Amino acid sequence: MIKAYILVRTRVGKLEEVLEKAKEIENVENISVVSGDYDIIIKVKVNDLEDLMKLTDKLHLINGIKQTVTYVIEKEISL
Amino acid sequence: MIPALRVRRKYLFYIVAITSTIFSAVTVGMDTLITSRLSEYYPAGEVSWIYGFNTFFIGLFTTILICLFLSIRVRGRRLGSVIIDPAFDGLRFITKEEFRYHIFAGLGNAISTIGYFYVLSLMVDPSAVIPFFRVVILYLLLVEMIAEKNAPTLIEVQSSVIVTLGAILGSISISGNIEIAPLAAMFFIVNPGWVLFSISQRKLKLLRINGKPNDSINIRLWNLIFTLVFVIAIMLIHDISTGTSYIADSLRNCGEILGMVAISTSITFFAYVLYIRALGMGKASITEAVRASIVIFSIPVTFIISHIVEIPVPQSAVLWLIKAIGIILVVLGILSFALAQITAYIFIKAKSGVRIEKLIERIWKIRGIESVSAVTGNYDLIAKVRIRTLPKGYERIIRKLESIPDIYEFRWYSVLKEWSVV
Repeated sequence: MIKAYILVRTRVGKLEEVLEKAKEIENVENISVVSGDYDIIIKVKVNDLEDLMKLTDKLHLINGIKQTVTYVIEKEISL
Repeated sequence: MIPALRVRRKYLFYIVAITSTIFSAVTVGMDTLITSRLSEYYPAGEVSWIYGFNTFFIGLFTTILICLFLSIRVRGRRLGSVIIDPAFDGLRFITKEEFRYHIFAGLGNAISTIGYFYVLSLMVDPSAVIPFFRVVILYLLLVEMIAEKNAPTLIEVQSSVIVTLGAILGSISISGNIEIAPLAAMFFIVNPGWVLFSISQRKLKLLRINGKPNDSINIRLWNLIFTLVFVIAIMLIHDISTGTSYIADSLRNCGEILGMVAISTSITFFAYVLYIRALGMGKASITEAVRASIVIFSIPVTFIISHIVEIPVPQSAVLWLIKAIGIILVVLGILSFALAQITAYIFIKAKSGVRIEKLIERIWKIRGIESVSAVTGNYDLIAKVRIRTLPKGYERIIRKLESIPDIYEFRWYSVLKEWSVV
């Protein structure tokens, strides 16, 4: 099981559209709209790295996404 | 694959807490049914003891059965982890660390339950005093302020007071007189007992067992075991000192009410595991405030029960108006709790030569941090923060981060809106 954060920059005016499409993607655990130099932070949970690649590919196909950066989680502590 | 349900993340806690409350409302109704049946044979004072004992005694057996059922593996995952608490991984013995808190939680539960039944036995119409149970929210606010060094924000104090007053109005009955003895029992026995119970259960839920979060199913099971021990002890002392035979009577009646109590305690089980899970997500005072919504859910239950046994249903329009005002206050208070919440991500870069393993532990200890992950890439750690107000975020989190010398830089991203899979 691999978890990762994907940081997304969107084109101005496309945020809502990107969100709607991103919500439909499988294996997405959490979507947050943030303020700062990124627009969306997506948390994903996939089986292996290949699935992660497929997922980011799907994201890249969404019209309105300018750039994504993926941070693979090595260790996580949470409530 | 099934399309997953996505809801706004901040509502998860409220969904869990309110589901727990709905289960509780049903059990309160069942309690009324069972006690009314028992009081056909026994005086009011004794009914409460007999029923109190049996809820824990029979409850323990039904709970064990449910726990075994929840331990069944389906496609590699325990049933309990799928439907109740993702942290559940089979039944286990308690650890040394848990033992202390279980003593307190069990004692608290026993005191508050016996106290509650004592109040019931003191008066004919308890509905004038029982609503003051909700004042426990204010007790919890105070205790948290002292014990958890967790000063409530203005919005928390405001909402708690609104909810408490609303709950009292929503459940009060004008017919009953307020007497001093039961009221004192409520304020000095039942409520403090419940505070002990809920604070200890929250501590238990926040403990990490073998590096994993504690699960509410085991906590509930062990709490019942400890509570039963304390209840038997208290009843024994009562029996010996006043010459009553409550324990013997309780055991004798066990079979008669077995069916109904078994159903009632099974529902109670789900009410409590969800309650414990909610305690792990939010402060005890706020969990309790959300559970004040029981004044709403108990209305349909009361109506159904009133068709089976005779219980007083308010007749006058004024009383209904007061109830309605109470319910509006409760809803408003809970909504303002739910809406006043801030989430943020903090991206942290460590200085070179720093052990990330140690840094992650250090950041995890900061209050308000919901999760920390070590990640690959430009930053070393991503922390998620959940707080009430931005100034709190500065005081509690930024200041702490500033004081850690191992951090090279960090960036704060406020979350504007959030969705999660539930």
